[in-house]
Amino acid sequence: MTTVISASGLQKRFGRTVALDGLDLEVTAGEVHGFLGPNGAGKSTTIRILLGLARASGGTATLFGQDPWKHAGELHRRVAYVPGDVSLWPNLTGGEAIDLLARLRGGTRDKGDYTARKQRLLDAFQFDPRKKGRAYSKGNRQKVALIAAFATPAELYVLDEPTSGLDPLMEQVFNREIARVSAEGATVLLSSHILSEVEELCDRVSIIRSGKTVESGTLAELRHLTRTEIAFATDGIEPTALAAEIDGIPDAHDLIIDHGRVSFTVDSDRVASVLPDLARLDVRGLTVSPPSLEELFLRHYGDELTARAAEPMEGARA
Amino acid sequence: MSTLATLLRQRLRRDRLQLALWIVGTALLAYTSVAAVADTYGDESERNQILQVATASRTILVFRGTPNGTDLGAFVFFELFAWLALMGGLMSTFLVTRHTRAEEEQSRAEFIAATPAGRVKPTVATLVHGVLANLVLGALVALAFIAGGLDAEGSWVTGAAMAATGIAFVAIGLFAAQLFRTSRGANGAGVAAVVGAYLLRGIGDAAGTPSDDLLHVTPAWPSWLSPIGWGQATGAYVENSLAPLALSLGVSAVLVAIVFALQAVRDQGASLLPGRNGRASASWALSGSFGLAWRLNVSTLIAWAVGAAVAGITASSLSGLIDELAGDAPQVVDTLQAALGGGATLEQAFIATFFGIIGVLAACCAVQVAIRARQEEAHGTAEQVLATPVPRTRWLLEYWFVGVIVIVVVLAAAWLAGLAGTAASDTPDDLVSLITQAALAQLPVSLVFLGVTLLVFAYLPRWTIVLAWVLLGVAAILGTFGPLLGAPDWMLDLSPFTHSPVPAGDDTDWSGGLWMIGIGLATAALAVVSMRRRELAAGG
Repeated sequence: MTTVISASGLQKRFGRTVALDGLDLEVTAGEVHGFLGPNGAGKSTTIRILLGLARASGGTATLFGQDPWKHAGELHRRVAYVPGDVSLWPNLTGGEAIDLLARLRGGTRDKGDYTARKQRLLDAFQFDPRKKGRAYSKGNRQKVALIAAFATPAELYVLDEPTSGLDPLMEQVFNREIARVSAEGATVLLSSHILSEVEELCDRVSIIRSGKTVESGTLAELRHLTRTEIAFATDGIEPTALAAEIDGIPDAHDLIIDHGRVSFTVDSDRVASVLPDLARLDVRGLTVSPPSLEELFLRHYGDELTARAAEPMEGARA
Repeated sequence: MSTLATLLRQRLRRDRLQLALWIVGTALLAYTSVAAVADTYGDESERNQILQVATASRTILVFRGTPNGTDLGAFVFFELFAWLALMGGLMSTFLVTRHTRAEEEQSRAEFIAATPAGRVKPTVATLVHGVLANLVLGALVALAFIAGGLDAEGSWVTGAAMAATGIAFVAIGLFAAQLFRTSRGANGAGVAAVVGAYLLRGIGDAAGTPSDDLLHVTPAWPSWLSPIGWGQATGAYVENSLAPLALSLGVSAVLVAIVFALQAVRDQGASLLPGRNGRASASWALSGSFGLAWRLNVSTLIAWAVGAAVAGITASSLSGLIDELAGDAPQVVDTLQAALGGGATLEQAFIATFFGIIGVLAACCAVQVAIRARQEEAHGTAEQVLATPVPRTRWLLEYWFVGVIVIVVVLAAAWLAGLAGTAASDTPDDLVSLITQAALAQLPVSLVFLGVTLLVFAYLPRWTIVLAWVLLGVAAILGTFGPLLGAPDWMLDLSPFTHSPVPAGDDTDWSGGLWMIGIGLATAALAVVSMRRRELAAGG
């Protein structure tokens, strides 16, 4: 398998602010790689370095085996990019901006095919290309960048939080396009702070926090990180009896009984094992929710952070 | 009532610096101009002569006002009122758009409309805000004129005329905000209304009926279509009639009534004229990054080129007047001579002075192109272009090319317009070669400012806009007014404009120009090459 993106020990400082602090990232050809982290973790900075728009302060980064800073122009022939916050030219229409970006990428040489691809995407994303740039909402500006990217054949698609302004229907269109380019053999780097989106689309995931990679692997490998929250209404059952019942379930953790709701967590691969007990209790208003990324971080790294604050040595995990 | 007060306070607070600068700046301009006019034309016979020259020439009246006798106050009013009213008008329309259509376009108005303030109160608050700003402006201009030693009654009439004219433009701005979907459209209409009002009264003054002694003009009807014309009709310092201002206030009242009627029936965010749609796909002209750089700058170019053409045709058509000036107003001739140094003919001096200003316009246009590169970077759109196979160096080089093209087009517009104006001259051939030399002579200095701005962009991106305008402004003031203000030679030599070749027929010394072409090319080349090592610097 060939490596498309490789970064090791990547560092980036802006004055005294440290944006990247030894980040590692490995993306192989043909995979859809999720790049997960909370806001401000350094996702966009990494992407800007990979695109040769910013220069690393330390460490190495390669794209298709080449230095993106030195070979930006030639590497960009193989890349389609969707920025996190899409700005448009106020006096250009959306359609003009799409054509311009596609032409700059050299994706319009097969003129007839390009027009067909663009038209299909305009329809799928329900996008009106005739308005001026300033008249579009955030979601519509994002569609301009997405249509321009997916209308251009590329070996690598770099997408920085591409769905943050899209409604659920448009997210489905987006997911189909990812599946299409992936089936055609393209590599995708998808940055996001939404765990469910990444779970649905990605083969492998890297999780970063404060400019460092904290986890990387397939979703199955990362499954151990996630615990699912289970909650239901107490519905008249006496709390102490209930607490005794739940304590009796070996997989249940973090029990809370409050405001007429019972909640506890279960390792995500053990959810099925608690269902018989819930059925026996005949619970009402049951909700089963996967943890948000923030909760995941708190759960998995909160202890480590506290521990690290206590002892000066770097934790074993990093 | 309390929501209205809150909205008004928010407007005053948001504008406190901008409006203070605008108002105090205009008042200071009024004060220094009074002093300058009183100094230059302190003698009644001088005012007599210059009024006769202006009235006889007609063209000069477009850029001045209605001649109304040789009284110092009336003369100052003739020289300054239309300019000051132009400033006040622009202040008013920008102020109104900022607080109405721009807010609606940004959806901020929606927050406000969803509070008890509702949809209409913000417009009321903007109206009050605009009226207050113009009352203060009028009062300060009146005080500036009084401080300049002019008669108090006439000064207060001038102030009232300023305020009434400004209020009319507040109403026009409010109306434009109802018409257009975008703040760009509303601001464009506002500026067009102000400049149109200025030109209408200019045409009215130029086409008016002069008195036998050439000291008074009765404006023709176009002046009565212009709020600035109504202000002039007060005849401050002579007739001191406030009656014409009733027209300003009456028209304002009617427009405001229409505005509230429209606002009462339209949706939030909607406009009377629908937003225009554009092309669904890009034309061949937008085929790459160069096409984009050109497209982003072409409207700026048109504006500067029109200005340069007006200056060019004024230069050559007025140069026919020089013989008359030499006889009637020798002090004007002296200042021009001083600006040029000895040995040149007056015609040469005149063309040199005007094309010097055209050189400033061309440099401004070129600087704006370079600044556009920075705006693209700060706005985030440059990032999308540079994430395609366009290298950073080529991207900046293309902006340089566009900069060179706009310089050539601006100078060519002035040159062609200048040639068109030579028809009236006695010796058109000499004038043609003079104008051609004068236009060519402005190319080097514009290249210097283009190159220097790009260099600032390459090394200090966040300072591009401020530094570019400050450098250009200081250099332009030194180059244009330095000799008149008696600045020492070493200081004048700091300004590139001082080194522009001065057209003098066969004797023209081009060496300064050649040096500056070298500097212009070297700075641009350094800027482009250093883009190799430069990261994109977003925002700020």
